[in-house]
Amino acid sequence: MKNKDRISYNSFFYIIFAPALLLVLFLTAYPLGTVLHDSFFRYDFITGAKDYIGFQNYIRIAGDELFQRSFRNTLVFTFFASVLEVFFGVLLAFLLYGSFKGKKAASLIIIFPMIISTMVICAVWQIFYHYEIGLFNYVLRNIGMQPVGWLTDQRIALYSIILVDIWQWTPFTFLIIQAGMSSIPYELFEAARIDGAKKTQIARTITLPILSTQILLVLMLRTLDTFRLFDKVYALTGGGPANSTQTLSFYIYREGFSFFNFGRASAASVITLFFVAFLAMFYLRRLLKEDD
Amino acid sequence: MKRFFTAAAVLLVITAALSAAGSREADVTTLTIAGRDGAFGDAMERAVETYMQENPDVRFEILKLSGPELMEQTVIELRGGTGAFDLILIDDPFLPRVQEAGWLVNLDDMFAQRGLEIDPDLVENMVDIGRYPYPGGDLYALPHVGNVALFAYRQDILEKYGYDTLKLWDDVLEVAQLVDEHESDMVPVLFRGVQGNPIVTGFLPIFWAFGADILVDGKAAFNTPEALNAVEFFLELAEYAPQGVTAYQATQVRDALMSGAGAMAIEVWPGWIGELENPELSEVVGKVNIAAHPGQVKDSSSMIGAWMVGIPKDSRNIDQAFDFMLHLTSAEIQELMADETGNPPTRHSVHQIERLVEKYPWYPAQLDGQISGSVRPRTDYWAQIETVFGDFLQRALVGDISAQEALKQIQIRVEDMLN
Repeated sequence: MKNKDRISYNSFFYIIFAPALLLVLFLTAYPLGTVLHDSFFRYDFITGAKDYIGFQNYIRIAGDELFQRSFRNTLVFTFFASVLEVFFGVLLAFLLYGSFKGKKAASLIIIFPMIISTMVICAVWQIFYHYEIGLFNYVLRNIGMQPVGWLTDQRIALYSIILVDIWQWTPFTFLIIQAGMSSIPYELFEAARIDGAKKTQIARTITLPILSTQILLVLMLRTLDTFRLFDKVYALTGGGPANSTQTLSFYIYREGFSFFNFGRASAASVITLFFVAFLAMFYLRRLLKEDD
Repeated sequence: MKRFFTAAAVLLVITAALSAAGSREADVTTLTIAGRDGAFGDAMERAVETYMQENPDVRFEILKLSGPELMEQTVIELRGGTGAFDLILIDDPFLPRVQEAGWLVNLDDMFAQRGLEIDPDLVENMVDIGRYPYPGGDLYALPHVGNVALFAYRQDILEKYGYDTLKLWDDVLEVAQLVDEHESDMVPVLFRGVQGNPIVTGFLPIFWAFGADILVDGKAAFNTPEALNAVEFFLELAEYAPQGVTAYQATQVRDALMSGAGAMAIEVWPGWIGELENPELSEVVGKVNIAAHPGQVKDSSSMIGAWMVGIPKDSRNIDQAFDFMLHLTSAEIQELMADETGNPPTRHSVHQIERLVEKYPWYPAQLDGQISGSVRPRTDYWAQIETVFGDFLQRALVGDISAQEALKQIQIRVEDMLN
């Protein structure tokens, strides 16, 4: 293609792409810019009073014990929830691989938690976790064990929320991994079996390496989603007991919509955004490398 | 030709239908109320139904929201000046923040325009909560829910252990110890232990009774011997609370009390216990006494937690909204709401209706609380102070930090906020 032709060819795509690009820029860059701008102000949303204070919001947040705890809790939640969800998703996909009677029904049952509203799920789990009348403590008492403060013991509450998230979102990872597995040519497995490979060898040396892109993708999606944890904390513990389930999103919500301190909420949002962007870049680079 | 006439007839029918709908809608006013969920929402519905019977051209849209949701939506809508709400319910400690922004209609002016005066039957102390600045400024909201924090105890249990009444918090602790020792199926003390507003609201009557205060001359006053005594007492009393008390909300306190599982509740609000004397729902009919809180170094002072009703300045239906507000706070409707939903009235006369006093035996204590009770501090930072107070109080409750450390941390943070 001649240079002139290439320019006119590319221009056509730039022109038809421009409106969408402008819209996306407006919908993302404008709010981001506003948040970044507000983070340098003492901004009382109720009165509208705004005073420029430079990096004061960032400095105060960095030294705030509650923010540090929220950050730590978010990291713990993100790590355990995303890794375990992917692990169980892969496990389920392996267990349900191939065609057998009842597979469709089993798949439907497995994806059920994913399609229920989070608030409904939290209401159900709140009853399961209830100290006096909850299902889990009922079982523990019946087998002669001490009941547990699932949502009231500060050492356990965060892990109780992780368990709810795993229950809800493992089906999502299962679906993606299962889709990846069904795209692997069956002949590959046949050939390995003829060569005398055992099931575990096939899984380790053929299936998992082929699925690595899907696993990385689903790990990225779950990491980014779990990092923004808010709804389950709001519904199950309200951040307690003793701030043991405070997360970054909850911290931002509290600053923004309980105190209407939009400057500090914006600064906390910017910090969170940077961290999420860092995680996304980390995964994307690896994903793109695998693509190459 | 036939096709032409059919099309014309269809067009005519559609135009007629649209015109009819349009003319019918033209005379209708729709009032949007940003209100509360639960029993408060039911009470509002009763008021709306009766108003619509008298005013068929007025329709309503009631948003039934939780406390935090209501606060968020109120701020976002009023800040945006969209005129989306015609009436809003406001939790009384939040009212100064709302009016600081100048979002509400001046009701003194509305009364004056109509040649009306504020009905003296409304409890004056409750009406004053709607004034900005508190308590002597102009009126911006009327009291709709006359909630006052009260103390609940099982009279039969007290009598069993030789007590007639509980005058001091020390007596409460003694009874809690006795119940713990002798009543294996009963929880001695109930309160809301969730961090933030619930735990603070439950604790404040103890805090005040021990002579402590939140702000003195506008300055943080947490790091005092009185405050330390109060927190240490609270922690001692909390040893007799249920295991999962840090997750206890109003529902758990009410259920434990009404099922007969709790001996005392250090905080109940009339809005929670409307069914306490209903034999179909309560196991403790005639057994629970609801009274003012005990004192300690100071006499008890009931804490007011009223829900006020105001009209946003941006409302497009201010006159109609004011008319409904008068209906909502009238003696007739307060009686209806109290009777059918347990909504605590804010009028002297409704508190004296014999049928209601029989149904809600705590009415005399409730009225006393409304007349002489205290409000939480009027400061722009109340939400933050309450949150910090609640966070550290709960940390002390779960044994994360000592009472002294909790108060020290609260003092530092509140000082920081106020500076």
